Amino acid sequence: MRHRWLIAYDVSEAKRLRRMHRLLDGYGDGVQYSVFICDLTDVELQLLREQVLQVMHQAEDRVMFVDLGPMSGRAPHAVSFVGREGISLRDKPGAVII
Amino acid sequence: MSETAESDQLLVPARMVNEYVYCPRLAYLEWVQGEWSDNLDTIEGRWVHRRVDVPTPRQVPDGSDTPEPAHELTARSVLLSSEVDGLIARVDLLEMSGRLATPVEYKKGAPPDNAARAYDPERVQLAVQAMILRANGYHVERGVLYFAEVKERVDVPIDDALVSLATDAIRGVQAMASSGRCPAPLVDSPKCTRCSLNGICLLDETNLLAGRGDATTVRRLVAPRPVARPLYVQEQGSVVKKVGDTLVVTAPDADPVKVLSKDISAVVLHGNIQVTTQAIRALMEDETPVMFHSFGGWFVGQAGAGIGHRNVSVRMAQHRALGTPLQGRIAAALVAGKVQNQRTLLRRNLPVADHAVTGRLAQLARQSRTVADRDTLLGMEGYAARTYFAAFPALFRERGAWAGAQFRANGRNRRPPLDPVNAVLSFLYSHLVRECTSAALQAGFDPYVGILHEPHHGRASLALDLMEEFRPLVADSVCITLFNQGELEPSAFHARARGVMLTPKGRRVVLAGFERRLEQFIMHPVFGYQVSYRRLFDLQARMLRAVLLAETAAYRPFTTR
Ligand code: SF4
Repeated sequence: MRHRWLIAYDVSEAKRLRRMHRLLDGYGDGVQYSVFICDLTDVELQLLREQVLQVMHQAEDRVMFVDLGPMSGRAPHAVSFVGREGISLRDKPGAVII
Repeated sequence: MSETAESDQLLVPARMVNEYVYCPRLAYLEWVQGEWSDNLDTIEGRWVHRRVDVPTPRQVPDGSDTPEPAHELTARSVLLSSEVDGLIARVDLLEMSGRLATPVEYKKGAPPDNAARAYDPERVQLAVQAMILRANGYHVERGVLYFAEVKERVDVPIDDALVSLATDAIRGVQAMASSGRCPAPLVDSPKCTRCSLNGICLLDETNLLAGRGDATTVRRLVAPRPVARPLYVQEQGSVVKKVGDTLVVTAPDADPVKVLSKDISAVVLHGNIQVTTQAIRALMEDETPVMFHSFGGWFVGQAGAGIGHRNVSVRMAQHRALGTPLQGRIAAALVAGKVQNQRTLLRRNLPVADHAVTGRLAQLARQSRTVADRDTLLGMEGYAARTYFAAFPALFRERGAWAGAQFRANGRNRRPPLDPVNAVLSFLYSHLVRECTSAALQAGFDPYVGILHEPHHGRASLALDLMEEFRPLVADSVCITLFNQGELEPSAFHARARGVMLTPKGRRVVLAGFERRLEQFIMHPVFGYQVSYRRLFDLQARMLRAVLLAETAAYRPFTTR
């Protein structure tokens, strides 16, 4: 089962910052400057953590992982926005039909 | 020390001996059948190995000509082999002091709480490494298990008892590989819960159907539904691109949609859609298939993953079954399953019970189960289909009555479908074929070599076999629901030169309905747990495979009451 994660990073160097952004962009959606929301299984979380460790500088950067809970519970409603419009987070998994 | 030569294939890897000691079936699935699947353990295990997986550039000297006195040396990720013993191993870390060599194996987690502070599979793996080192002139007294997280070394003395345990295991591996038979699953073993291949092995399910152990409860170790789902692109003129590590789909006059590769199990395209080369490459690297439907919906084929399944034994078993009584028995079970489900659908949905029809179908289902003659079987199937489709229009009521009336006038027809119900049925069947083709490829089948549907040029006959029992439950029931609930109205269709076709909006409604159905959980009547329909396709494909590989005796089609 997937959990929703809020992931935020402090990365102090431009090249690593770009790489971190691209990495997280592959796992979820950027919602604020340096903040992502990612829905992950335990395996996906582990893979992501490993890749984050490879991208970051462990002494200079810091990445925060916040578990917002299982997607079957209240996690889909745990994050809300006020102000500027434009972000809608997925609330239930399902096939994308275009 | 001998670097590996062409004879690689014949050498038994120390890791395989480890897995054989853990579970012979695991070793067989992984090494002989080429199955692989990740779980948290295997990923964490790889992570622990990441530092030692980079070989040291330095040449490791041969034990026999190491000069005395000793010089100290360590080397990472060393590939060793002994042709005489037929063994090969990659040693995570080799510590050497003159002729004394100590292999070190990296492990995740902490040492187990037993007398040896180590499990047998790992002890045996070290013993195999020691045997190879000894054959190369080294002196080995012990191996070491290094638990990286807790930074703890556990000594494993390589004594005669351990060497003889390892020798027995090596013989077992060799015998197993040459027998060409997959060992039976462990019975009631706690090991299976942690095994990364449990979803492929289907241990309790196989044991139950083979009557092994007293397995009355089947643990559900497969995920009830896959987390990744297909991406459908049917809006004509859309473009699928790779942007960064994601896919972006842009339909004409719409905002681009970002799709994460981890979320998609397949990319399903209808008609005129563009996919960039970069996107196709990225999909192939992820082993995500790209599946093509014609503009009208016909499933044309797929590119990418799944084509090269390494499990040859399944394909050989498919060919071997042709023309044997086994083929006849499976074919009969497939027909019986479909007819039974046709009956169930009518019994549940007919506004007025029609015992003449449901009774006839029940009887045909019962009779077909034991029919050995192919023509008789196909005759019964045809008779059941006519009976079923004659009653079918009555299932369309209220908001769907108009569609039922048109179907009544035409009957079941295709290529081109002459009315909305036929158009939707054909469309759904072709998506069902696609799902079943995926399931067949995943299970290692050649989808073109059918059992009930005999091999026929350019037709995914085995996928058609697998889909039989699901036609009424998945396609027909979705069709009825969409019309009766008013989701499909006449505006969802347009008349073409000869037939009737879904509009883009109509296609989207049908795909959404199909997907909803595939996500639904149902109780498996034999295994007693809940799974989604999509997972069920995999499950049934694997159970069919177990029958062909003679692991279980008879194919049990999925039926509901
Ligand atoms: S699930 Fe159990 S029986 Fe199957 S391969 Fe794994 S350990 Fe062996």
